[in-house]
Amino acid sequence: MNGPGRLQRQLLNIANLLVIAMILFPVAAVVQGSLMTEKVLHSDIHAVIPPEVTMENFLLVLTQGEHREETQTSITSTYMPDNLRAFYRAFGNSLVIALSVTLITLTLGALSAYTIVRLRLRWTLWLLQLNLVARFVPIIVLMIPLFVVGRSTGMLNSLTGVILAEAGFLLPYSILILAPYFQSLPSELEDAARVDGCTRFGAFVRIILPLSAPGLTACGVIMFIVSWHELLIPLVLNSDLDYMTLPMVLSSLVGDTNILFNVMMALALLSLLPTVVLVLLLQRYVVHGLAAGAVKG
Amino acid sequence: MAGGARSLVAPGAVGPDRNRRHPGAEEGCVTRPAPAPIKVRELSRRQLALAMNAPSVLLMLVVLVFPLFYALYLSFSRVRIGELRRGFPFPFYGFENYVRLFQDELFLHSLQNTFVFALIVVVVEVVLGLAIALLINQQGLWLSRVTRVLILLPYAIPPIANGLIWIYIYNFKLGFLNRSLFQLGFIEQYIDWTGIPETALYSLTVPYIWRTLPFAILLFHAALQGLPKDVYEAARVDGAGAWRCFWHITLPLMRPIIAVVVILRTSFAFLVFDEVLALTQGGPGDATWVASWFSYKKSFAPPFNIGLGAASAYVLALVIGLLAVFYVKVLYRRAQ
Repeated sequence: MNGPGRLQRQLLNIANLLVIAMILFPVAAVVQGSLMTEKVLHSDIHAVIPPEVTMENFLLVLTQGEHREETQTSITSTYMPDNLRAFYRAFGNSLVIALSVTLITLTLGALSAYTIVRLRLRWTLWLLQLNLVARFVPIIVLMIPLFVVGRSTGMLNSLTGVILAEAGFLLPYSILILAPYFQSLPSELEDAARVDGCTRFGAFVRIILPLSAPGLTACGVIMFIVSWHELLIPLVLNSDLDYMTLPMVLSSLVGDTNILFNVMMALALLSLLPTVVLVLLLQRYVVHGLAAGAVKG
Repeated sequence: MAGGARSLVAPGAVGPDRNRRHPGAEEGCVTRPAPAPIKVRELSRRQLALAMNAPSVLLMLVVLVFPLFYALYLSFSRVRIGELRRGFPFPFYGFENYVRLFQDELFLHSLQNTFVFALIVVVVEVVLGLAIALLINQQGLWLSRVTRVLILLPYAIPPIANGLIWIYIYNFKLGFLNRSLFQLGFIEQYIDWTGIPETALYSLTVPYIWRTLPFAILLFHAALQGLPKDVYEAARVDGAGAWRCFWHITLPLMRPIIAVVVILRTSFAFLVFDEVLALTQGGPGDATWVASWFSYKKSFAPPFNIGLGAASAYVLALVIGLLAVFYVKVLYRRAQ
């Protein structure tokens, strides 16, 4: 293809700048908000670039409210919602849940995806179709009965319940992402391993899995991200402060008229950092995984 | 059903695939005792498939299949806080929940809002997604490479964090949007973006589109890279310009992937929840009540009308289920 002409180049560059501005606008908002002092936030309501910046908001969140007593003097800034005092607990819970969900969906997903693309029995193909449909099941339909059952069996307020619910909900998606990766490997590799005396399962573990490392990485990252973002599942199943996840803490600030925007933005920024870093580092894998999970069979 | 299942694989894949493997390795096990000395006792294909799928099937039975049936049962039962305390079994209620649902102005309004929301989201995402995909597909443009790196960023933002960020952006008195527009000279008076019933639903679409657009761009971009180059060269030789190339070659070739994006984005936009919870909680008034919010509020806020909530969630699931069937039967295999 010929390169674009000079005028066209200028127009394309302007279009690119617009898109970049669009992507970065909310990012600029959260960064700006989190760096503002309370004084600037309220007194200088026209300022986009704050005349003075501060790290106080991050310190306030990271010390779970301890820091405030020493430095901040104004009366309104002494307000601290209870849930913010559980920042590290919530961060830890989110991490445990996301890692467990990733591990479970990868393991079970790989086992199932392999049987679908390589063993090719009639019912494993049905399973693939079922997984495709299962991806469309609204979480809210599942959460109402899971809440009722969890309530009567005393399973509410636990990390295990949330992990199982999220893993089960995401498992079809992991199978859909992994299946195309397995399918893209030549089956001759397996045949060769089997001639050398490997069982079919042995060939899967020793040949297919190591060769699918990029696919497993892609699937793993996406599972971690979706689980880290999940709000509705823990929100319905857990209410105890000990079992809060980070999204739950964020959602509890909604409608709290006393919370300051600068503290809220600092918390939002801290909670989105892990997945943003993951996506930027492993971009290639995420791109492939998302594409693989949507089309191809 | 069986025919449908087979159509998911390449035609004839089942037959030849079987023959390519060692003849007698699997069929032999079934029909006669193993003739050759086998080093490790190997499971048949059927047994192996069962064993390898057992954990997945078990988990899905517990977390997906069972709740789906239980939700159906709840939707035909009278379940409120009192019945919930007394526990299983719940009194049978017939179609009463569904009857009440469709007499409920708020539910119909929520459904309508959901459709409007999804329609806006899908139209904007397809148009904008295609345009941006074409933009980052431009070779030899330095800025396009920058855009390509940044494009996935919104996907990494937790939806609820996105919601909180936009609370600050939209805020009437202190918000980032009003500040920015004021500094750029676009407005002189601050605007209450989410507080006016007439615009609240539209204000809600912007954060949602911002967060979910990368998915559409990415699928379109992947499809663009797979388009045959020689067709474009032939068209250029025939004197076709960029616009005609797009209209007569790119768009027809992209039709399957556009259909996939429309279906996926529609069904997920039907489920919008986090941004509603963060930004409007259904308000002002009932201007931004959407389907998931209705089910959530009815079930988990007093008077905990679980039966009605389950019925409304089931209606939503059925609407999306229709889209899902279309996706599975028609689109998934064809769009590659």
